[in-house]
Amino acid sequence: MHFLPKLIFISLTVLFANNSIAQDSANDAEQLKIAALEALMSAPPDRALPLVAKVLASDNSDEIKLRALFVLSQIDLPEAQTILLETARNDGGELRLEAIRMIGISGDPTGTAGLADIYRSGDNDTKEAVLQAYLIADDTQSVYEIAANAASDEEFDEAVHILAVMGANDELRQLRDRPGSSESLIDAYAISGDVESLRDLAMDNSNPERQTQAIHGLGIVGGDEVNTTLVVIYRGTESPEVRDAALHGMMIADHDEGVLELFRSSQDAEEKTELLRMLVMMDSDAAMDAIEKALDGGT
Amino acid sequence: MINEETLTLYFYDELDAAERQRVEAVLNSDAKLAAAYAKLCRELEQWRDAETDRAPIHLIERWHDSIDQAARAETKAAARTQSSFHWFSFAWGAAITAVLVVGVGIGVYFSGNTSVISTTADPLYGIPVISQLTTPVSFTRGLQLHLQDSQSEIASLPTDASADRVLLLAQIIEQNRMFERAAKQNNSPGVARVLRAFEPILIRLASDEIAPKDAEALRAQLAFELSVVLTKLAQDTSDETHST
Repeated sequence: MHFLPKLIFISLTVLFANNSIAQDSANDAEQLKIAALEALMSAPPDRALPLVAKVLASDNSDEIKLRALFVLSQIDLPEAQTILLETARNDGGELRLEAIRMIGISGDPTGTAGLADIYRSGDNDTKEAVLQAYLIADDTQSVYEIAANAASDEEFDEAVHILAVMGANDELRQLRDRPGSSESLIDAYAISGDVESLRDLAMDNSNPERQTQAIHGLGIVGGDEVNTTLVVIYRGTESPEVRDAALHGMMIADHDEGVLELFRSSQDAEEKTELLRMLVMMDSDAAMDAIEKALDGGT
Repeated sequence: MINEETLTLYFYDELDAAERQRVEAVLNSDAKLAAAYAKLCRELEQWRDAETDRAPIHLIERWHDSIDQAARAETKAAARTQSSFHWFSFAWGAAITAVLVVGVGIGVYFSGNTSVISTTADPLYGIPVISQLTTPVSFTRGLQLHLQDSQSEIASLPTDASADRVLLLAQIIEQNRMFERAAKQNNSPGVARVLRAFEPILIRLASDEIAPKDAEALRAQLAFELSVVLTKLAQDTSDETHST
């Protein structure tokens, strides 16, 4: 391409012309530099890389450097990863966080492996940025490692939320045995739609609080399979709390047919009243039939 | 200017009456466009059977529930931490996307395809996605169109935090997620990562709590990143053309 040498020359001129640009045109100069960085994407990676590296090493504004980091993330050379990792380790503030994001975008295994150390030694913002980078890189295993080795419940919860958003059901199931972790995990199962895990917890009456939370989670996921399970749980429990949770699960899942079925089969006036109220709350068409029957004194 | 996207929406009867009339008028007067539309119809008809049907009501209700659930979770997460970015925003975005995707012809950008297409379900929300196995050229073309559209839509975003702005951003997020999935299907993990990285920025832009200065900075960032990706895509396409 004939225009390339010219383009690189113009880019160089613009990028390093700090001293020759008058103060009142500083903003224009910034825009020109940004345009030059964008134009560098047309150049071969091995020629663009040193220019971008120079921009990062020079006395440019953070905005220019942030843009340079993105260009770096699009250069498929190991040296680009090295610079990104150095920036993520040694720079501060926004540049550090953006470099971490760029490592996620580039998806290079060396870079994402390097994020593990940065996470361990980082502050909350850094940890958050690393998790986001793993999410961008679709690296479920690294997020799982963070969750499995979390030093605090907060760290664990953050990692579990990310796994849920990534739909990493297998990894979430592997975390089930962690003590005191049920709340965030059940939320995660609900977000990732893991009916199997939720059903196991919802049928397990050894921990009533966890059981009711799992029942709510089932309601959120919804579907025919869940509807059947909720009715089974309602009928099979002696616990008023669990029964109430199952009923609310049906409400969340909009399973009015199940509530109507329970209304029709119930022989208990108090229970029938509660089920009727629920049908009305659900704005169900079936409510009118139930109301009519109740007014007729029928079952 | 009537682009391929508009023609595809016309094909699926997704345009409003005025826009539909405009397209009909242009088709009647522009032989080249009419020919392109005829070709598009043939291609779309070829895989109409494989295409995802409108989602059943119970699935739509599920997706609504997903939005409610994600919103609850986000509120909960916000109360628990003062973090500058909430991870559940991803879930929120995904949920909104899930709803908006209903009824949209997912093949809008893939009409040049002649390969076998299969549908699978998104593991997170059961959203049907299209598997493109052998036609990265049509994918790249569609992606370029999407990025260009996103660029111009972001440039013309209303400055105030209005419902229009939120809706527009939700639509961009929806398209972005479709292309992210399509990129994975097309063995383009690099593109998928970049598109995933755009989403939190789009979600933050959609927030009604964002300061105008911050919104402007995010818009500038997105504009730059979109331009860089477009330049790289064009470069890659050019390299492939020259090497063949």
